[in-house]
Amino acid sequence: MIREKETTLYLGPQHPGITGNMMVKLKVQGDTIVKAATHVGYLHRAFEKLIERRNWIQAFTLLCRFCVPEPDPMELTYARAVEELDNREVPERAQYIRVIVMELARMQSFMLWYAGQAGSAGLYTLGQWSVGDRNYLLDLFEDLTGGRIYHMYIWPGGVRRDIPEGWKDKVLRTMDYIEKRLFDYNQIMFDNTIFQKRAQGVGIIPKDKAIEWGVVGPPLRGTGIKSDVRIDEPYEVYDKLNFEVPTFEGGDIWARALVRKEEIKQSISIIRQAIDQMPEGEYYNKVPNPMKWTVPAGQAWAKTESVRGEVGFYVVSNGTNKPYRVHVKGAAYTHGVTVLEKILPGQNIADVSFIMNSLGVCPPEIER
Amino acid sequence: MNELINENNLLKKVATAYNIKGNVIRDRRVEVFANKELVSSILLYAKLQLGYVHLAHITCIDWIEEGDFELVYTIWSPVERIHLFVKTRINRVNPEMENIDGIWDQANTYEREMREMFGIQFPGLIGEHEFILEDWDQIPPMLKEFDTHKYASETFFTRPGREDAQDVRETLSKRSGTDVPDFAKKYSRET
Repeated sequence: MIREKETTLYLGPQHPGITGNMMVKLKVQGDTIVKAATHVGYLHRAFEKLIERRNWIQAFTLLCRFCVPEPDPMELTYARAVEELDNREVPERAQYIRVIVMELARMQSFMLWYAGQAGSAGLYTLGQWSVGDRNYLLDLFEDLTGGRIYHMYIWPGGVRRDIPEGWKDKVLRTMDYIEKRLFDYNQIMFDNTIFQKRAQGVGIIPKDKAIEWGVVGPPLRGTGIKSDVRIDEPYEVYDKLNFEVPTFEGGDIWARALVRKEEIKQSISIIRQAIDQMPEGEYYNKVPNPMKWTVPAGQAWAKTESVRGEVGFYVVSNGTNKPYRVHVKGAAYTHGVTVLEKILPGQNIADVSFIMNSLGVCPPEIER
Repeated sequence: MNELINENNLLKKVATAYNIKGNVIRDRRVEVFANKELVSSILLYAKLQLGYVHLAHITCIDWIEEGDFELVYTIWSPVERIHLFVKTRINRVNPEMENIDGIWDQANTYEREMREMFGIQFPGLIGEHEFILEDWDQIPPMLKEFDTHKYASETFFTRPGREDAQDVRETLSKRSGTDVPDFAKKYSRET
């Protein structure tokens, strides 16, 4: 038997398969990974530090940049923490609008996931379809907020403006369209032998280790554990809406993909219900002049369910017009470091980006 | 309050076991305050005996005027659906805290970050020294005394042609030869 030499391979930070500017240092024997270490630091922009120099509202321009494919959960989670500190009520209509925004955000992020997950298996057609269709969702955001990617729409006390005329109908038409398209997506992804063989039995997260390692969101539900912040600690009006939290056994890429496949259907259902039930009324419990607005001293922890899992904000006020400390924890903080380093040994080099896509690793969220 | 039975029970169990103080903040939120020597023991007790198996977060707050760092360990029970915040204070001078990555593997990442950003040492912490910052030779940047503006001024240069664009309102006013518009004055830092 020939003993293969151990080699060090640096995957990233510039690599077409990697999920952003980060690097995974691999020790390999042949094609097999022996050890993996995550290296970040290429995207550190000191957002948390910079927020301490800005007022409570100016922070939003930085918050949404924590994770480019999914900025809205950051806005909502921070807004909820500030509302708790300020004891500020949110009108019911705003809560429904927030839910619609969050689910649209979830859907547009799923569209990017389809592209990344299928693309890293060599199935490029699906990515072109889903990124193209994602633009219809971004059109909805543009109509509502003025921005396609970064919205800065959810503010403490509600949302910045009411929904425009005709927007509800446009949302429902878009949902009908996406629902039809999902059939095509799933046919070329889940019915494809290449994808099945690449995804089944690869990148397994053991069920008994999942919580220990800090796994959240679809990867956790892909191990068969039913956990979702929208159910476990309902916020906004999620407790008034009917939806399922799909789970699958296996803990591999295939199980995580099946979870997401079902979740996007749930998002469509939630949006339809929210539009149907949304009451008339106020959409914003206005804060005073943002330059002078002070928030009572205290500490608050808020969390929401993003498409990649739990997002939490620990916000501290010392009673002034600026946050004293804002600390965010996104799913990638554990998925991109602890979990990735644990599950890569034994895998093939070609599966690294495939696994990273399935975990939803978003590098700027790790280093902020 | 009737609906906070689980929260009060949790507080009673932890406070009695360790003879420490705490509060029920609201539903699903309980905090306890402990000396730093007790923290790892409380976390282990909460994880193994009470089912608080999910480490949701660890944060550090720099209370510069009080000379302390406050460390907050946020843990969550999927069964009781309650957050328990274990809070402790350590001195800002030569700060040191017990390493808990033996209790939760993922704590290693938080601790490596706190070592870089706040200068807190965790004896026995495994992991490459540089997690986010590379070749950093200044004081830990998340300390309150670290001046980001001064650092940026000394480290980076203004893009050519943008030297006068430090205050947008004044620059626009100067370039157009008009006064700062009223709507801009309304949100001025000076008012």
